[in-house]
Formats: sequence, C-alpha cells, structure tokens
Amino acid sequence: MKKIRDAINGVDLRRFRFLLQLFFFVLLVYGGYFAVNLGQSLPTFACGFNDAGRGGICYLLPLQHQLAMSWSMLFGWAGLMVLQGFLFFALWFFVLNKGWCGYVCPLGTIQDWITSLRTRLGVRYSRYTEGQFRRLSLIKYLLLALMILIPLGIGGALLPHDMGTPFCDICPGRMVIPMFTGDFSQLTIDFSTKTTMVMTALGMLVTGLFFAGAFFKKRFFCFFCPMSALHYLLSKPALLKLKKDGAKCTRCGDCYRVCDMEIREIADEVKEPRIMQDDCIMCLKCVAHCPEQGALKATFAGIPIFESTEQGFIKRMTKGHQDEHKPQ
Amino acid sequence: MNTNPNEATAPAYNRSRQAREAETLLDRIQDDFPDNPEAMRYFYDLFRRVYCQGEPVKHEGTLVGTTCIHAPEELIYAFGATPVRLCNGSYHYDQIGADFMPAKSCPLVKATLGSLHAKAAVPNTQALELIVNPTTCDQKTKASAMIGAMGYQVHDLELPPAKESEEARLYWQRSVRRLALRLRELTGRKLTRKNLQQAMARTARAQTAFRTLHQLRKNAPALFLGKDAFLVTNAYFFDDLDRWTAAVEQLNAELQLRQMEGFQAAQKRAPRILFTGSPPIFPNLKLPLLIEEAGGVVVADETCSANRMLYDMTAVDEWLLNDMVDGLADRYLKPCTCPIFTRNDDRQRRLLQLAADFNVDGVVYQAFAGCQVYEMEYRSIADVLAAQGIPMLYVETDYSPDDMGQLSTRIEAFLESIKTRKRNAR
Repeated sequence: MKKIRDAINGVDLRRFRFLLQLFFFVLLVYGGYFAVNLGQSLPTFACGFNDAGRGGICYLLPLQHQLAMSWSMLFGWAGLMVLQGFLFFALWFFVLNKGWCGYVCPLGTIQDWITSLRTRLGVRYSRYTEGQFRRLSLIKYLLLALMILIPLGIGGALLPHDMGTPFCDICPGRMVIPMFTGDFSQLTIDFSTKTTMVMTALGMLVTGLFFAGAFFKKRFFCFFCPMSALHYLLSKPALLKLKKDGAKCTRCGDCYRVCDMEIREIADEVKEPRIMQDDCIMCLKCVAHCPEQGALKATFAGIPIFESTEQGFIKRMTKGHQDEHKPQ
Repeated sequence: MNTNPNEATAPAYNRSRQAREAETLLDRIQDDFPDNPEAMRYFYDLFRRVYCQGEPVKHEGTLVGTTCIHAPEELIYAFGATPVRLCNGSYHYDQIGADFMPAKSCPLVKATLGSLHAKAAVPNTQALELIVNPTTCDQKTKASAMIGAMGYQVHDLELPPAKESEEARLYWQRSVRRLALRLRELTGRKLTRKNLQQAMARTARAQTAFRTLHQLRKNAPALFLGKDAFLVTNAYFFDDLDRWTAAVEQLNAELQLRQMEGFQAAQKRAPRILFTGSPPIFPNLKLPLLIEEAGGVVVADETCSANRMLYDMTAVDEWLLNDMVDGLADRYLKPCTCPIFTRNDDRQRRLLQLAADFNVDGVVYQAFAGCQVYEMEYRSIADVLAAQGIPMLYVETDYSPDDMGQLSTRIEAFLESIKTRKRNAR
C-alpha cells in the first residue's frame, strides 16, 4: 500500500496531466464521432457549437437558452426544467470540483499547449502585478452576472431577442473548438442585425486576445472565465478537495511561484485548511512542487489521493535539472 | 587572504593561536565521545587540514566570498566561480575585529571582519575577488564599507527588511538579477540556461543529502550527535561542493546502517534538544558541545549555519533562465526565518514543527551578546514555546571561553530538569 502511495506521490505530474488532458480533449471534442454523449450539463467548455464532434455540451449554452424563456414560462412549470439542468450540472461538478478546469476543459488544455509551445520557443512568461490581479479576478463575476441577467432581460422582453446567448457570442471556445473538427464557420461576423454584428465582432476580438494572451500568460483566459466563477459558488460540498496543513508549511512560496493562476494564498495562508481559491483550476501543480511532507494534499471524499512529499519533489526537480532540450 | 603576495607569509603567532583554538575543539569533538561515525573522519580531517594546518581552500575559477546565507550560491557556481562563506567563529579573530565595531556588537560580525583584516587568516581562502554582502542585519550592512576599506571588492546585495509583501519579493528578485550582472562583469562569462541548470543540480544534490541527514536525526534513540552535524554543515562553508555531497551521502549510508542495527549514539532517555538562535560556527561549537557533553543530544536546529542554510529547496516551473533566477531569489528570501525580518511567525511555526517532528524535549536558544535581533525575538519565541509546554533555555554568550563553567552548570541543570519532567510524566 505504501509503495502504491509513494508511486502516486512521486508521479511526474506534468506528463500525467498532459495525457489525461489529451484523453478528455479527445472525448469532448471528438467524442461525437464515437457516439459519446455526456448530456448538456457539463461543467466545462465542451462547446455545443462543435456540432459534429462534441461529446457533450457545456452547461452555459442551455442555461442561457433556458433563462431567455418568457418569464411566465420560466417562473412556471418550465422553471423545473431549469432546476433539473442545474442539478445535473452541480452533480457533474461535485465529482471533480475545479479539476474540471485543470484536467478536462478543452479550452484550458489548448492554453496549456500554447504555453508549452512558448517554452519550447524559449520565450519567458509574463505575470500580472498584484493590483492588476485583484482587479482582473473580479471580471469573471461580472461576466457571470451579465450572462444570467441578459437572458433574463430577453425573457422579460426588456432586451432584444438577438442577444440570445450573450456569453457564447464572446466565448473564444465557440470559435476555437469547432476548428478542431474542421469547422471554421464560427469564425465570422454575423451581419444579420446590429446586435449580432457587435457581439460576434466582440467574439472575434476576444478570440484574438485569447491566442495572444495565452501565448504570454499561462492560462490567460481562465482569469476571466464565468464558468470558473460559477464553479466557485458551488465548490464547498465537492468531493475533490485541495487541503493545506499550515503547520507543516515553511512558506517557501514554491507552490505560489508555479501556480498558473498566481494564487498567493496557497503559499501564505497557514490557518485555513480549505485552501482552494476562486481562481484555482486544481491542476495540483502546487502539490507536486511542495517539498514539505503532507503540507498540501488533494483528497477525494476525504481520502487523500495525492500528497506533497519530499521524495516526490526531489524526483520531479531532478528531472527538471536533467531535462536539457525540453524547457517546458 | 590578502592579495598582496608580500603579506601572504603567515606570522607564526597568529596561525598558531588560531590553530590551537581549532585543535582543542576538534580534540574534544573526536576524543570525548565514543562511537563517532566512521564517515565523520572525512570532516575531522578536513577541519584539521584547513584550520590547524592552514591548507588553502581549493576552488575553481574566481573565488567569491559571501557573508550571509542570502547570497544565491547557484548563481556564483553558474558563472564558473566558487562561493566561500566568510562568517567566522573564531575567538581570535573576534578580538581582532573588535577594533572595527562598537564594544557590544556581534562576535560573528567582528570575527568575520577580523579574519578579513588578518594577514594569512584561517581558513586560508587566498584571493577573494569579490565579497557579496547581503544587507541583512545592521551590523552586516555596516560591515560592508569596512570590508571595502580593507581593499576588497564588495557587492551589496540589497535585501528587503520584510519578506511578506509582493513588493519585497519583486525588489529582491531585481536585486538578485543585479548580482548576476555583477558576476558577469567579474568573470567575463555569460549566464546560460545550461550552466545555471547544472549549478542548480549540484546544490540540489547537496541539499538532498542534507535533507536525508536531517530526517535521519528524527530517529529515537539518536543515530549520531549534533556536534557532528554542525561540523558537517560548517564544512559546507568552504568545502568543494561535490566532495562535500559525496561525504554526506557516505555518512547517510552509514547512519542508515546504524538505524537497521538499532544503534544508539546517545542514551535512550537523553534529552532531545532543538538548537536555535545565533549560529554555531566552527570553532565556536561551545554550546552544542556542552549540551552533548552533559548528556543531551542536539537532534535538530534552526540556525543559519545548518538547517536554514541548506534545508529549503528551489522549485522551478519553466526551465528558462528568467524562471530559474526568480525561483532562486524566492528560495533565498521567502522561507528564511532570519530574525532581521519584520515578523517572526515563520520562525515560531518552524520551531514548533521541528519540535513536534523530532520529538524534542527542550529548546536551547543561543543569542550572541550584541546580536540584537535574536535578543529581541527571545520573548516571542519563549512565549510560543511555553504555550506548548516546551521548556527553553536562553543563553546569551559570545566567542570567549570565559563563561564555559557557568554555562555548563546552567546546561546541566536544564537537562536535569527535563529528565525529571520526563520521569514524572511517565
């Protein structure tokens, strides 16, 4: 048992993650070809616009559709349907918590591939300053609020109907993910009405920013993701958890410096064991880069599944020292 | 140590006095205790050669002196230079250095100044082409100009007085990058991903060996004694990095063997002591030695001549130069528990965790007379330990041997009280 535990804790997380992300990418982007259908309540960007290949649908698409129903329907029996969709979403989410972002989300995976490309080219990353970070991390809540309020406004006939699914219009996933199945049709500006023109043009702009941003900044888009905000609101009862034993922490900051999301609390907080913050994508890099035995751990339903160990840390760093050609 | 070749010949008196001090101590370390590990012979011999016979410290490339653990040695190695830590523990040099500093100042700083001032000092570091002086405590900060006035090239490595804020972190990262530029000027070499990676691999191997040794000290009863552990980490100041690592790995192997055989280096009920405060630096190992001569065993420490110097390891996310250098900078600032920083919660937590992990019975807190920052943290540390029911002995001392008698009485009493406590607890 101890041997298995040591093997897991000593895992080459980068490789493990790469493979798992690849698996989920294929499942969600090409699963449709193999008749995979995981429903339409997935808590991750399995883009519904990828008609041919999708192995399931991102919950934000049906959510916006449903909320745009007329109020008489929404607040009547049809409201139960909305609740049901939300329940399935929540159930999916509870399994992996924000691990959906770090391991499953195709858009996250694409960003990690771009990062990998950058490091191979030997280009350094950029970081936000602390002040920028604090302000930027609020944007996702704003987007979440708009994503709910605009469809509600449409349902109440306060807003024009052609705003339909406002977040999808500006989500880079809508343009990027279908490209992987050869569908470039989303990469257009819709001139049918003024609103659609503005929204799709905005979408093009965001997609451009997505590529440029992700090249210089690790997980650039995740800082603004309303799905991430929605996740965080539900994250308390989730099964997969990130925990910290503050007494064992030396505050060396190793976890913080490898964090793609620049979460300082992971290093500085020593009192609260539930350490997961709203920006966290549960990639578990912090656990892998912590040299203190048991200071950080991921638990599933209370059972530790991956724990920081001195041996694991040394093993992973030694690999880094020897990796001459691949500075990723 | 002096660059002037005419002064390189040693006045016999100086060398002999300093050598006597070292020799007496080495004799005590070796002869007063039975069962010294076989692998310790390397270190005993090393100290005899360097401190008693004045053998020059071997080095490759440019020799760069450092006056504190904050100078990132990986950078120095990456430029093909060799770092040597100048912090000195000799009473002889403490007296010479007294000319530079006020009467009530830190013996470590005085001894360091004294050894730099002395002709043909021991350890014989030959020509120092640069001294990296991190601006840590007031005394070390002010020592910079004095060292400069002696004719050495000094680089003030600016260290922030606080380490919590992001501003401090970024300031320090810039400071470290400036050091890299200075080293490039000095050596005429370039810092590349490859040479830094290699340098980091070397220190990481040394740190891994140290950590293994550290973990072996958790064993109860103890596998080996603290006086030897201090000697090992003291050797890190000036020894060849790879040779040092190999010697420690050998020592670890021997201790692992001892562990399997159920060997006891100290009595089963010997009080297990955690050593903290001002650093024991050879030949001033007076306090740890007194503890172990009185029947205690130092099982762990929180000092900058041992644990704080070697324990914390660097993490890198992307193996590109910028991330590696920033990673190094973080490693030399963030986990540091030096009392010069504004707050000391990290030091408190570190001590409590060490006490728990190493099954410690009591803490000995050494404060050098004149080392104000350690003196000032005494109270907060005492309170935290008292709240956990861990007894602590606070010892204010310096490099002079005059208080040995008094100290040994106090230490014996402290150990005795721990034994009584343990008996009553059973």
